[in-house]
Amino acid sequence: MRVGQRAQRGVLIAALVLCSIGLAACGRTDPSDAIRVAWTIDPSPPLVGEPIVALLSLHDSNQKPITGARLRLEGVMSHPGMAPVTAAVVERGEGVYEAALRFTMGGDWILVVSGTLPDGMAFKKQIEINGVRQIHSA
Amino acid sequence: MNILRVPVVGSFLRWRHARPALQLLLLLIALVIVLHGLFGPQLAPRNLATVLTSIHWRGFLIVAIVAVGNLFCTACPMVLARDMSRRIVHPALRWPRWLRGKWLGLALLVLVLFSYELFDLWSQPRATAWLVLGYFGLAIVIDSIFKGASFCKHLCPIGQFNFAASTMSPTELRIIERETCRTCRTSDCIKGNAQQRGCELGLFLPMKVGNLDCTMCLDCVHACPHDNIALATRTPGAELLERGRRSGLGRLSQRGDLAALAVVFTFAALVSAFAMTSPAYVLEQRLATAIGARAEWPVLAVIFLGGLVIAPALLLSGAGTMTRLFAESRRTLRATVLAYAYALIPVGLGIWVAHYGFHLLTGALTIVPVVQSATVDAFGHALLGGPFWGWVGLQPGSVFPVQLGCVLLGAAGSMAMVQAISERDQPSQPMLASAPWLVVILLLTTTALWILSQPMEMRAVRFLG
Repeated sequence: MRVGQRAQRGVLIAALVLCSIGLAACGRTDPSDAIRVAWTIDPSPPLVGEPIVALLSLHDSNQKPITGARLRLEGVMSHPGMAPVTAAVVERGEGVYEAALRFTMGGDWILVVSGTLPDGMAFKKQIEINGVRQIHSA
Repeated sequence: MNILRVPVVGSFLRWRHARPALQLLLLLIALVIVLHGLFGPQLAPRNLATVLTSIHWRGFLIVAIVAVGNLFCTACPMVLARDMSRRIVHPALRWPRWLRGKWLGLALLVLVLFSYELFDLWSQPRATAWLVLGYFGLAIVIDSIFKGASFCKHLCPIGQFNFAASTMSPTELRIIERETCRTCRTSDCIKGNAQQRGCELGLFLPMKVGNLDCTMCLDCVHACPHDNIALATRTPGAELLERGRRSGLGRLSQRGDLAALAVVFTFAALVSAFAMTSPAYVLEQRLATAIGARAEWPVLAVIFLGGLVIAPALLLSGAGTMTRLFAESRRTLRATVLAYAYALIPVGLGIWVAHYGFHLLTGALTIVPVVQSATVDAFGHALLGGPFWGWVGLQPGSVFPVQLGCVLLGAAGSMAMVQAISERDQPSQPMLASAPWLVVILLLTTTALWILSQPMEMRAVRFLG
């Protein structure tokens, strides 16, 4: 009985600690929400193993292009447990950034673009790339 | 060999609080899954809810069943939760007689597999968290109303899956000396005593055969006053050849629901693996066009109906008819199919191991960066370093030989079982009687190998999108 009560108390404390961690994590706001991001991908739809160029254009809330951002790009699959792909992001001017990458598997990918803006603000955006196809089934 | 007599492991298992300790561990993991699923990042590869369930829980569950036994039922945190709730609410009713059997659990198992595909649960941390909460809620509600382990025995879809798979486990709980049981007057293994409850699933140990309906909870071990129960090693699958009456189940040859569980277990392995390949997407598109579907569920329903009902019905009734013809058997078609249906379990298990083992081997290390990332989210500092997002697992291509071995080993087991059933039931023409079933197993094996060799396409289908 005593062991059971101790176990229950332990579970309750653990639950409270984890709840507070979870709530602390979800309570944050993302300042990069104010940044407008437009993107294109070539070729579209993308094919597995083929070189792909992603173009991103960043504008602030006044529609001014954002230059001088330091960005990195990572592609992850919608299914957990798959290897991510990473790509260097190069600025092409006028708020346009370019990344070259190759998708390693067919399916749905999510491109995570993150980095810092010229004013030092952290930046993070997710772009869904649905339906990356195998070459033979495209 | 009696594992309960092995040093350290045996001592731990014989410890009265061994099960609660394991359950507490899984309960804490379930809590982490729920909290991170609800409040963590909603990017599936970065969330513990989706990573732990899709990669680690499924993988370790199936590996544990093959290597040891039904360990995840042993450590089931839902039973711990309902044990706690039963301190407050005491169930008064018995599970209705008309609902007994596996049909309801089987329907729930299919529903879970269907929902997994329809709602792309692998990519939905929050939905995964709600599913876990739903499981807990259902287990607590059912077992607060009905006595015994009603949820485990009659409803739990994971439990039914584990029961079918654990028929191939290398261990089982069984009595040591029959004479000791013959002279026992208390039957504590099923009735329990003041200190320890008996088997909640209604398995009377002297008449218990194999692992069907056994959650390996060890209640019988702790309850037996004669220390007459062993966790013994055995030949995997041999229990499926037993014809006799078994406690809590009756005769396998008279249980259409258990045979259906074996068939669905096997064919669902193919459907589940197929759903994540490139040809599955093409098939879905073609079916959608053919039936004019504008949503995914009718298309998935057709695939599930074809894969879990129509194809098995045609294959098994065809093989049964041929066996009756070849062996000039007087058995009915139903009796013939029921006898051979259990022989499909080994190949089915081989396919499940190949599928879930693939995800485990190729994604095992992803837990490291996800935990590191969750720590950063929670505490604002990289207390555990990283995150090392490059940590994933083996290359997918390197896992195929392992998958091939699992499927072929399963197929060999099924073929051996078919032959043993034929020698038992059709002694005059065993080879001829086996032939149609060997063809069915070859067909299943070929299909499985074709599916596993297809390029994977991890997609959450956006219909008409």
